[in-house]
Amino acid sequence: MTRRTLVLAFHSIARIRGVVVGLAVLLFAFQFLLTQVAAYLTRQRAFGELSALVPDFVRSAAGPSALTFMSFTGIVSLGYFHPIVIGALVGLMIAIATEPAAEVETRFVDLTLARPVSRAAVIIRTLIVLSCAGAVIIGSMIVGTWTGLTCCVPSGVERPSFALTLSLAVTLASVTACWAGVALAMAAAARRRVVAGAAAGVTAFGAYLLDYLGRAWEPARPASVASPFHYFEPMALIAGQTLNVRNVAVLIVVGSAATAIAFVVFARRDI
Amino acid sequence: MSADATLAISLDRVGKTYGRVKALSDVSLDVRTGEIFGFLGLNGAGKTTTIRILLDLVRPSAGQAFVFGMNCRTESLGVRARVGYLPGELGVYRDMTGEATLALLARLGDRAVDTGRQRALLDRFELSRSDLGRKLREYSTGMKRKLGLVQAFQSDAPLLILDEPTDGLDPLMQEAVYELLVETRRRGQTVFMSSHVLPEVERVCDRIGLLRRGGLVLVTSTGDVRQLAGRNVRVLFREDVVRPDPATRWPDGCEVVALTARLWSLRIRGPLGPMLTRLASLPVEDLQISEPHLEDVLRRYYADEPGAPERAN
Repeated sequence: MTRRTLVLAFHSIARIRGVVVGLAVLLFAFQFLLTQVAAYLTRQRAFGELSALVPDFVRSAAGPSALTFMSFTGIVSLGYFHPIVIGALVGLMIAIATEPAAEVETRFVDLTLARPVSRAAVIIRTLIVLSCAGAVIIGSMIVGTWTGLTCCVPSGVERPSFALTLSLAVTLASVTACWAGVALAMAAAARRRVVAGAAAGVTAFGAYLLDYLGRAWEPARPASVASPFHYFEPMALIAGQTLNVRNVAVLIVVGSAATAIAFVVFARRDI
Repeated sequence: MSADATLAISLDRVGKTYGRVKALSDVSLDVRTGEIFGFLGLNGAGKTTTIRILLDLVRPSAGQAFVFGMNCRTESLGVRARVGYLPGELGVYRDMTGEATLALLARLGDRAVDTGRQRALLDRFELSRSDLGRKLREYSTGMKRKLGLVQAFQSDAPLLILDEPTDGLDPLMQEAVYELLVETRRRGQTVFMSSHVLPEVERVCDRIGLLRRGGLVLVTSTGDVRQLAGRNVRVLFREDVVRPDPATRWPDGCEVVALTARLWSLRIRGPLGPMLTRLASLPVEDLQISEPHLEDVLRRYYADEPGAPERAN
């Protein structure tokens, strides 16, 4: 990594710091409040009542995960698999990853690449920004969870372990990294940010729906393995299973392969 | 081709196609160190494509390009470390200030920017500290152009590649650019500039290359180009004279532009003597001889091209 790569990275981080810090604060607050909601439901002894309210057909369709969710640990961990949180994170990653396309579109890249800056530096810069943004946001979620659990949870409640919180964060980070890589590959080939962003966004949404379909409808299950979200299984962790390293590896490999494609495509294209 | 390090730029049969469209075809050109080279052509002739090939922003479909003997493709970092570049369209972040933009671009360069030199450039282009503190969205087209010129020149690179450098500037600022270009040449730096403003090229460039539909059709010095054009001669008569017979043999190098009873308009290449001898017996009242302009020559090359410039009188 060269000095110029870091110059570009600091420049990009400075430009998006407001969005990243804003989202980090929001998710910190969300995670903190979830611990308070869980504590409230515990004090009210409401988890048993909530479980009883779930109709039988829902129990049979959702399996044990529905009941697992209706627990102190389930509520506390909600942020790590809530569709809106996933959507926000993947959306932000797509926005950051499409920066190379934006720079081609605005022709800012003409000024940077007219200097002794390698094309790889542009991609590495984006990877640094993605890593920093992801680390800050998911880190803030972990801190939010742990702050809430440490300061304001009634005694006697079985708290989720730090290992569980960390495992949930790792699964969330791996699915986020996967989509960041895919978006980066699309951005490396695109001339317009909106094209790359829309293509990555639609692909991610389609993959999410495919996974959902695969989980809810047996005939679609074989096809759903093609969706990266198939390898994102936080409910299994909440149910007590250990982190599935294979699933994490699949997501990281997909993200890495897409990143490698981004390097090759950006190095070979006309700017 | 062996790279010649004494040449600032060398293009060897460079071609570029986009799908079925030929943007450049078989362009070979040498630009000597220390000269100002004007790269001319109508819009779409291939000027910007050539510049982007030199900077490795666009990859040639055929041939090779060299800067100071380095291959623009395989040694592009070395090439770009020696180039100051003004793009035709300055792509900047509109929410950044001019000062932040210059600082960022300075940090990306290979050479430390001398703040004294930067200040002198800013003064020359009348960009004040308060101007630099403003967001670029508030900049006019001319101010952006001036900022672009400062970022191109601030690193004092040995080769300056300028795409339409005076585009959008007022006449005073255009003059400042011309002076800067002359100084740049005096300092031994090389300038490769694209333009379609012929008087500007004629004024500052040592040599010109003319692109037409992706092909290089003329490379010559601006001095030679005038000889190609010939002088414009207008002969005014005191009284009506008989128009010469169309079959009349005119002196060698003389081309008739227009003939009326009181005015002959001619273009003469070479010595004027034979024509003066012929005029000696006629009631000449006045004789106007004007030096040719670059556009007089270039119009011949542009002539059958759509969008060719009209003659400026």
